[in-house]
Amino acid sequence: MSSPILQAVGVSKTFGALKAVNEVSFSVNRGEIFGIAGPNGSGKSTLFNLMTGIPFGPSSGQVHFEGTQIDHWPAHRIARSGLCRTFQKDAEFPELSALETVQISAAYNGRLSRKGAASEADKALDLVEMDAARRTMKSHGLSVYEKKQLMIASALVSKPSVLMLDEPASGLTKPEISNLDALLINVNKSGITVLLIEHVLSLLLSVSQRLMVLNQGAVLAEGAPAEVVKDASVIEAYLGGRG
Amino acid sequence: MTPTVKNVALPLICLALLLVVPAVVSDSYTRHLFIIAFIYAIIASNWNLSLGHCGVFNFGHLTFFGVGVYTAAIAAKTLGVSPWISILSGGVTAALAAFIIAAPVARLKGIYVVLVTFAFSQLAMQLVLSQSQITGGAEGMVRIPYLKLGDYSFIRDYKLGYYYAGLALLSVSTLFLIAVTRSPFGKSLTAVRDAEDYAASRGISVSRQRILVLILSAIFTGFAGGFYAIYLRVASPEVFGFGTLSLALSMVLIGGTGTTFGPIVAALALTFATESLAGIRGFEEARFIVIAVAMILVLRVAPGGVLGILDRLLPSARQ
Repeated sequence: MSSPILQAVGVSKTFGALKAVNEVSFSVNRGEIFGIAGPNGSGKSTLFNLMTGIPFGPSSGQVHFEGTQIDHWPAHRIARSGLCRTFQKDAEFPELSALETVQISAAYNGRLSRKGAASEADKALDLVEMDAARRTMKSHGLSVYEKKQLMIASALVSKPSVLMLDEPASGLTKPEISNLDALLINVNKSGITVLLIEHVLSLLLSVSQRLMVLNQGAVLAEGAPAEVVKDASVIEAYLGGRG
Repeated sequence: MTPTVKNVALPLICLALLLVVPAVVSDSYTRHLFIIAFIYAIIASNWNLSLGHCGVFNFGHLTFFGVGVYTAAIAAKTLGVSPWISILSGGVTAALAAFIIAAPVARLKGIYVVLVTFAFSQLAMQLVLSQSQITGGAEGMVRIPYLKLGDYSFIRDYKLGYYYAGLALLSVSTLFLIAVTRSPFGKSLTAVRDAEDYAASRGISVSRQRILVLILSAIFTGFAGGFYAIYLRVASPEVFGFGTLSLALSMVLIGGTGTTFGPIVAALALTFATESLAGIRGFEEARFIVIAVAMILVLRVAPGGVLGILDRLLPSARQ
């Protein structure tokens, strides 16, 4: 088995009396697709936030990336080091075009020259198969799917070693989800480790090699997806309610 | 109207018209109004760089102007430095002042930025008032040396030299702003303004960009301050006052935040509009009410400013 590329050691996040993330520990192996599931409010996105320093780090615990402790780093430094994420809600720079959005990510995250950023931006948008005619439009005019494509392209352009995706399939149609499924597998095959939070279980189960389920900020179960979904506590907390 | 027409052809036509104005307008007062309008246009368009493009609610922008005014005045009059060098030194000290103000506000948000930057401008004014042996205190400084090129005094020929010097400064400032806003750095400012967390997740240091934008917005504002002091031959603490600040702010808001040319157009229009109203009996003080009403109307009807209205009327100009 490959060495862990990303590791959380007892990370917690408290907001007043609320423990949104409670002593969570897990490690992600280099090259795998690691799924994270859990009911609404279970702390999945907060876990992503504190691992990427956006907008805050953990209240306690440690995050290690490529063997270095990063939980005290500012968010832009974490991103530049190769731990790149997307957001659950539509994150966009509404006044910038898709091309400009990917270019500034290439320039800052990828530290590329203007020319290099322009060329890599085209490649990244090609990779996510974004319609060429839509690339020069301001982002606020793009569809939900195009915004998701753009968010992934702007993360991939800097060639991160880990890509963290926060519910990329939400709001998408079935054909769009199946395109996303294929894209994730391709991205992973290119050597990028993927962390995936997802509500669409079919996507999560089809692409994840390991799965972790959170409930009320703590780890409920972790292991092979087929095993985890059979776990009685998982069925009760998460899957049971859905039939 | 295509973006090329809007962003290249129209500004070039305006520049060509401004270049020939002295051939048509020979009276010294109208030329004076143009020179003052050029100075305000530099202040407003550079303020727009931090306020409009990066969303930093910097209410201390006029401090950079005031620092430029007093640096040039002290350099030229007290230290005997050439007025040309004095103007340039105004930009340098304004950038330094911006660096000092930027450090504490880089991590603040919204109203706190307004409070800290406004407090800083009041602090600068108090410093000028209290150090009267250097700054002239409330009386200010007068009889500051004027610009010369060889033996040619810029006061001669109905301020012809000052007119072209002011226009040149505005043109270079505008080219600088265009270069900044179109660069990846300029795009990153828009990113920071619109989605801070997303920008940070793409490797952009939000606080660093805020510090840099404040410094960059101060450079030409400081040059404009230096030019103002050398042109009017006066430095007075009024430049830090709320009146100058609100007039410049109205130019940014009426012209349109986030556009390079909007505040320049608004500065030219408002300078002449306020002067025209001042000439009408009964309107001497009411002109400020007119500006306030215009500002409210523009913000209500077209938050994008007057150039936003142009885009609405000519939809093809939109990208």
